[in-house]
Amino acid sequence: MTAAEAHPAPRRPPTSMHGRDNWTSLADLARSPEFRDRIEREFPRHAALWESGLDRRRFLELAAASLALGGLSACVQQPPEPIVPYVIQPELVTPGIPLYFATTLLRDGLGIGAIAESHEGRPTKIEGNPNHPASLGAADAIMQAEILTLYDPDRAATVLREGRIAAWADFTAWLHGESAAWRPSAGRGLRLLTGPISSPSLLALIARWLEQFPAARWHVHSPLRPAAALEPFAPLYHVERAERIVALDCDFLLNGPASLAHARRFIDGRRVRADRPRMNRLYALESRPTLTGANADQHWTLPPPALELAVARLAALVGVPGAAPALDWPAGADWLPIVARDLLDHPARSLIVADERLSPEARALCNAINQRLGAAGATLDWIPNPAPPPEDGSLAALAEAMRAGEVDTLFILDCNPVHTSPADFNFADLLRRVRRRVCLGLYHDETAALCHWHIPRAHELESWGDARAFDGTISTIQPLIAPLYGGRTPLELLALMTGENGMSDYDRVRAHWAAAAPGADFDARWRRWLHDGVFEGTALPAAAGPAPADPAAALAALDRRRADAVPARLHLLFEPDPALLDGRYANNGWLMELPRPITKLTWDNAALIAPATARRLGLASRQVVELTLRGRSLRVPVWIVPGHAADCVTLPFGFGRERAGRVGDGVGVDAYRLRFADTPWWTAGLELTPTNERYPLACTQDHFRMHERAPVREATLAEFIQTRGEIAPGHGDPPAQEPSLLPEFPYDGCKWGMAIDLTACIGCNACVAACQAENNIPVVGREQVALGREMHWLRIDRYYTGDLHQPDTAFQPLACVHCEHAPCEVVCPVAATVHDAEGLNLMVYNRCIGTRYCSNNCPYKVRRFNFLQYTDRVTESLKLMRNPEVTVRNRGVMEKCTYCIQRISRARHAALREGRAIGADDVHTACQAACPTRAITFGDLNHPGAEVNQWKAEPHNYDLLGDLNTRPRTSYLARIRNPHDELDADRSQSG
Amino acid sequence: MPQLFPPVANVLARWSLAALLVFLGAGAWAWTAFTRSDYLTRVNHAPAQPVPFSHQHHVGRIGIDCRYCHASVADSAFAGLPPTHTCMSCHSQLWRDAPMLDPVRRSLAAGVPLRWIRVYDLPDFVYFDHSVHVRQGIGCTTCHGPVGEMPLTRKVADLSMRWCLNCHAKPERYVRPREEVFNPDYTPPADQQALGARLVREYGIQRRIDCSTCHR
Repeated sequence: MTAAEAHPAPRRPPTSMHGRDNWTSLADLARSPEFRDRIEREFPRHAALWESGLDRRRFLELAAASLALGGLSACVQQPPEPIVPYVIQPELVTPGIPLYFATTLLRDGLGIGAIAESHEGRPTKIEGNPNHPASLGAADAIMQAEILTLYDPDRAATVLREGRIAAWADFTAWLHGESAAWRPSAGRGLRLLTGPISSPSLLALIARWLEQFPAARWHVHSPLRPAAALEPFAPLYHVERAERIVALDCDFLLNGPASLAHARRFIDGRRVRADRPRMNRLYALESRPTLTGANADQHWTLPPPALELAVARLAALVGVPGAAPALDWPAGADWLPIVARDLLDHPARSLIVADERLSPEARALCNAINQRLGAAGATLDWIPNPAPPPEDGSLAALAEAMRAGEVDTLFILDCNPVHTSPADFNFADLLRRVRRRVCLGLYHDETAALCHWHIPRAHELESWGDARAFDGTISTIQPLIAPLYGGRTPLELLALMTGENGMSDYDRVRAHWAAAAPGADFDARWRRWLHDGVFEGTALPAAAGPAPADPAAALAALDRRRADAVPARLHLLFEPDPALLDGRYANNGWLMELPRPITKLTWDNAALIAPATARRLGLASRQVVELTLRGRSLRVPVWIVPGHAADCVTLPFGFGRERAGRVGDGVGVDAYRLRFADTPWWTAGLELTPTNERYPLACTQDHFRMHERAPVREATLAEFIQTRGEIAPGHGDPPAQEPSLLPEFPYDGCKWGMAIDLTACIGCNACVAACQAENNIPVVGREQVALGREMHWLRIDRYYTGDLHQPDTAFQPLACVHCEHAPCEVVCPVAATVHDAEGLNLMVYNRCIGTRYCSNNCPYKVRRFNFLQYTDRVTESLKLMRNPEVTVRNRGVMEKCTYCIQRISRARHAALREGRAIGADDVHTACQAACPTRAITFGDLNHPGAEVNQWKAEPHNYDLLGDLNTRPRTSYLARIRNPHDELDADRSQSG
Repeated sequence: MPQLFPPVANVLARWSLAALLVFLGAGAWAWTAFTRSDYLTRVNHAPAQPVPFSHQHHVGRIGIDCRYCHASVADSAFAGLPPTHTCMSCHSQLWRDAPMLDPVRRSLAAGVPLRWIRVYDLPDFVYFDHSVHVRQGIGCTTCHGPVGEMPLTRKVADLSMRWCLNCHAKPERYVRPREEVFNPDYTPPADQQALGARLVREYGIQRRIDCSTCHR
């Protein structure tokens, strides 16, 4: 990276409409020579496959030899293939027809409903459960990737006793002996450490265990919500009722077990159509760029202390009693009164969203503001925490007891405190002092390595169980497959500890509900629950919520803190990694390689800093720095992120694992080493020392660019209304049908097409992961990503507009757009990419010889080439995972989005069998099905009832790069924002 | 300077060029013939199976319907191979002691499936769906030959793409009435062209010759 790249000056002032100038990265903004070179060369450095120069004679020799050998491959007889029928065919199973089961996946202990697709007993794909309140039919990237975790060959496969393989029977015998010894002392010194637990049947077991051993204690550890997990109440946001939302450093659209529901409800309030030009409005105040900020109509970047003071001022401005209106912090925040007035203009229809990144005082003020705005009972309810915490059961209390030597036996269920606990606990040392340590976990991880006993845990897709959603709704966890690695469930272990063993998990869960919800029709209800995946009407009723804190006291505390604050050098901020969360998914290649929504980094975390801070400290992206906090230091590469608060460094969790597995070991740096118990989310006093070292971070943001064409069209709601949706074109809008040399195709049957609403796309990556799972897309690794060879058929381009320090962000999902006049088709020398009678642009793998001409000629850069043998053809467990309906590609073959042709075929065959035409809603592509906000629609353009036709008839529908006359089948609805008119005018003047 | 080459050299040169062409042509022909040969495509080959199952006996003589064993042929892409249990529904009573059926009995007793060898093995990048073909009036014997006369099941078609397209381009040549699909003794009538054309219209059969019909 050059100096110009690190510290660019904006090229042109942003304008409010269509002339908007998109840029993707600092290199793009600065137009550095490297960037120009990269966009000119689609596959950078691909010619350097052979390190030694290859002369012409040798090349011709090899070409002739490969031609001859290629011909010989036709001389091979297919090897005999066995065909293995069942001995007794299981009920419902018809070979070749998948079955679907409702189950639940857990996120921080809370359930998200899922529908799992099973091919002859092998789960291959996760979709959302439309009946479940936390899913609403959507499934995010992490849920999609659970399939890979299930089949992960690195999962713990045996019971280990002090590192040596043991049998389950050895453990049960040991535990039996131990529990006899607990009885006399009522379980003194006995501790249980778990993640948050919402499962009613497991909670009941824990309660019975605590009854049996009254002196035993239960602790809950949640690295992602250390405070919220221990609170007796949880907020329930009714985003759908809110017309004005303020998010205070809270990424409620991406983080947490309610994010799918939040995203859907939020976007439902802003689907702009010509006949319905109405939108809610989201303001975001944030310290680091988040998805919520990117999707906000207006957002401001503030360092955390300033952000807290902005909360105080907002409280004063909306008239929270006791709040001093004289505060004028943060300096220059003249937009705050306008925001406050906008909120007050929408009583009972506005909402403040905040989480534990704010201090307790600031959160108390948020509650007071919500109270003042009439949000309580309208847009906000409080419910009892659906994962009820034990009293005084924090990790700190456990650490205290361990330090005091009071812990004799510790059971750790499904959490990894050695990796994720605050650095000042020195948990590993404390753990070594415990005499007997038992750990149940999916992997033989850092904690398991220090435990006497390690029991492999069964994945959710292998277990029976139940869970509550964020709103309390109960759903069942249903196994799709018997445990692959002999895993045991928490229920099983707890039952053993209480002496209630001798029962299957299924019987245990069923018996729990037969007792909890008795009635003559229980059997029928139980069957319906299993079928639907949801126990209807079990959402928790609203409760009184936390006692209101005194706003004046909170304000005083904030003010005092401001006065006491030493001029901080730098602030250190933490955030969960958007894909790996707290690190539990570190061995999942799909998630590792998923470009992070904002940074587009893969395979590493980095210290994220603002451009201004980089300039002040003279840092460039990929430069390694040493971060020092309270005497502990960490070397980490820097990544410059537009829209980051100045003088702050954000470090995502989830990386730097030592015992994650083959994929995750030693990848990135471990942010927990600088996290202290008293400052879980941000802290002042960070020291940063630059080094001369550089680290090759693999970032996808400048890969597959479409030169300088402006692909995203944006407008404000006011402009939309003013122009009746006819947003003026961005890049040379074409006449509807330009003449072309290519033939016109007649479409008598179906004519497939897609439309993507850029207003609805929040950039969350669910579609990318869904595509990867559905289409057997391989993982390529850091080095290959750095060369621009990632294989994702669907990518999400992230564009910035405007100011470098506080840019607006837009996302554009882009896969093959299936051009009517496809540039790729005419250049293929072997007709491996051709048009079909339904308008699909096909890729015929068995014809492809790998010239890559098609990709060169593709203006959208959506074709992916298997430069190496990326697909793992060796690992047995991964063979089970693959979608049998999709060809597994090998080295040397081009591939790309097929519009989920296997799903089209399935719908067509079903229609044929039933003797009917394909219906308007019969085909859902994988990306469409996964999308939390329903930003993607797909259907038959010849079918008048198809939703895609309504979308394409909207005035703000446009073709990407339409001036090339490629006539893409995928079109986009322009991105509409709803900024406050006073603030918008203000911004365009200052910008 | 004397002539280096005698006059006959001209003739030889011409003949050698001609011979080279003939040799290349013959080579290409032989190559094509070999790759399409029954040897390479295993047409008429009956692989050794764990049990020498005879369709001739079960279909031709006893008259068991195809769907008794290939139960999912009308519902699924995969026609279905009978689970051991299906075999034993008769053979628990008949031929209980026949040594030939020993593997079947052992399979049921031990719960270990029989491992048959595929006779019709399409390449892995081809996705064929039995159910739609059966529904559209393509009979079992159209592709699988006179199964009712086969003591051991052998392959009768080379499964080349040319062979598939032969029907996909002109389905009227092979389509039969739906009620005759599972008839192993069906013989096409003399006026197949007329009947086929009528059925193609009636059943709404599309001529699908796109790559995407079978490859994805």
